[in-house]
Amino acid sequence: MSSPVWMVTKREFRTRMMTKSNIISLSIMLAVIVIGAVVGSFFLDRDTEGPSSSIAVEQGVTALQPHLEQAATEQGLALELSTLTTDEAEQALIAEEDPLDAHLSGDPSAPRMLVAETADPAVVEIVTSAVNEYVLAEQIGALGGDPADVGTALATAAPQVESLVAPEESEFDGPAFVVSVVMISLLLFALIGGGSMISMGVVEEKTSRVVELLLSTIKPTQLLAGKILGIGAYALFQIVVLGGALTLAVTALGLTEDIEVNVGAALGLLVVWFLLGYTIYALLFGGFAALVSRQEEIGSVTTPLMFLLFIPYYVTMFVVVNDPDSTLARVLTFIPFFAPFVVPVRDALGGLPMWELGVSIGLCLVTIPVLIWLSARVYQRGVLHTGGRMKLTEALKG
Amino acid sequence: MNALEIDHLNKAYGSLRALTDLTFDVRAGEIFGFVGSNGAGKTTAMRIMLGVLAADSGQVRWKGSELDLEARRRVGYMPEERGLYPKMKVGEQLEFLAGLHGMSPTEATRAVEHWTDRLGVGERRGDDVEKLSLGNQQRVQLAAALVHDPDVLVLDEPFSGLDPVAVDVMSGVLRERAQAGVPVIFSSHQLDLVERLCDRVGIVRAGRMEALGTIDELRATDHPTWLLDVDAATDAVLPRLTALPGLTATPVPERPGQLHVAATTHDAETPRAILRAALELGAVREFSPVRQSLADLFRGVVSAGEDPAVDPSASDAKESAR
Repeated sequence: MSSPVWMVTKREFRTRMMTKSNIISLSIMLAVIVIGAVVGSFFLDRDTEGPSSSIAVEQGVTALQPHLEQAATEQGLALELSTLTTDEAEQALIAEEDPLDAHLSGDPSAPRMLVAETADPAVVEIVTSAVNEYVLAEQIGALGGDPADVGTALATAAPQVESLVAPEESEFDGPAFVVSVVMISLLLFALIGGGSMISMGVVEEKTSRVVELLLSTIKPTQLLAGKILGIGAYALFQIVVLGGALTLAVTALGLTEDIEVNVGAALGLLVVWFLLGYTIYALLFGGFAALVSRQEEIGSVTTPLMFLLFIPYYVTMFVVVNDPDSTLARVLTFIPFFAPFVVPVRDALGGLPMWELGVSIGLCLVTIPVLIWLSARVYQRGVLHTGGRMKLTEALKG
Repeated sequence: MNALEIDHLNKAYGSLRALTDLTFDVRAGEIFGFVGSNGAGKTTAMRIMLGVLAADSGQVRWKGSELDLEARRRVGYMPEERGLYPKMKVGEQLEFLAGLHGMSPTEATRAVEHWTDRLGVGERRGDDVEKLSLGNQQRVQLAAALVHDPDVLVLDEPFSGLDPVAVDVMSGVLRERAQAGVPVIFSSHQLDLVERLCDRVGIVRAGRMEALGTIDELRATDHPTWLLDVDAATDAVLPRLTALPGLTATPVPERPGQLHVAATTHDAETPRAILRAALELGAVREFSPVRQSLADLFRGVVSAGEDPAVDPSASDAKESAR
């Protein structure tokens, strides 16, 4: 394929990929993610080992063993139990490797607890609770009751809470919130990045006057289309590489186990919405940038567009994330400038019916040709206009 | 007809009329010089030829049919405002442009090598354009116009900013392209160069073609003029000459003893009569027909605009050219 649009696309993609600054910044970002994953896994692995203790008992106190095990499980402590005589225990308590934490002897209802120097408070707590349980069971048995029955009765002795007004359905879901914010932030980053690359590219061609040479062989619409496609491919490449690396890192660290959001599917939907959002905003950036002639003037046309990006971003973050099924969220789903931010979040939080997703995508697809027409019209008139800023109304009237 | 025809182009920027009924043609194998003072409409006309600008009315044709986008891909264009991607390598940039003109990558690479070598910038193919001197950027710009072996060449001020060696290379290339049957049109303010290089010349003033033809055609006038330098008092010479039928004589300013003698008719007998009369008065140091240079013609056309009564010969030239 060697259509002019394709050639412009290829040039845009290549010149952006091949610059030193791009290669360097992309490598740095990837390195940061990899280093983050390695360092993170080092610390996380140490945590997962968890604390463990070892307690030995004398023959006469073995009745405490089941209570000790139960207490340790309740405390979330790994417990190593053994049976040792006092003499053996004295050796084990001061051993160099894996010393014993405590040795119990004497009366099970008030055992002597032998430790090396000071008692580990966690071990004291386990032993105390085990002894309490033992004494309680002994007393219940002496009174003619069944300790197991009492245990079961105690376990179910809790109030049944019933409220008159039903609680709100949406509960604050921490991990889903984080995933949503990361997703729309990544999207915002990519859309702003793509948008400014397009506006700078358009103005660069105007300032360097190469546009006149280009337009003697290709149509302005072909040039704009090629530019949008090339830069879009580059921005997509970035989002996929960085987003993919992040997902891999997070999965490798096992952080996704706590998250009930399907990260892979969310990323897939994010790419779809990146493409729709990018097309919508890129057309605006491209058309508007053609109105100015110098790099210094870019701000005057891109600032309103930045607002157009930040408003849906913040509205999504503060309104939609907290209540994905509110009327406002549902209305914004059908506004093409908001949809790229609102829809992926609503979907990630599980509150989006299929038909709403379909209609939302459909509305965006219908908006795009209108924007193409508008942007091409402004671009065509603006791109050869030199010297100062051209008014938008002027460009639209032609 | 294998010609680039510019047919009644009109263009206005608001209330300013940039082009008025601009009509001329550039034949295949011909070098056409497009001259006019600043703001006369040369660049506007060239931009319209390349479709960069839309005319209000009129048409540009190549080989009899409209010069549309497809045909324009076969045109080599050098815009007045030089333009290349500053941060792109010379070679890649030219290959990209050749590709836009419809060349395959292998053809493009070969053509880029050929033209950069030919224009003396072959060693700079791997450098970013912005690192080149302005003169070398100019050569790259010309390479961009030539790289796709165009059927038509439209060059806006191709010689500005070039050193004499580059001017020779450029002139050679334009001649060679013309000999290959390509119509070449270029604008320039270096009139001696235009005079030397061009087969035909068009002089525009305020968006109108005021004079059009070969230089000799433009020189052709109803008032043949001679320069006479005679060793005698001017006061004595003047009445003697004006006494002859149909002659006017005026002293050349700041050249004592020299006179311009103009006749109202073309008559082979007139120069002999002038010379005989002069010889009777004293020794004749110089007697020759005055050949106007392109610069003289140009001044005549331009000054005609300032006051239409001053030099009617310009509009005569226009009539004869039509």
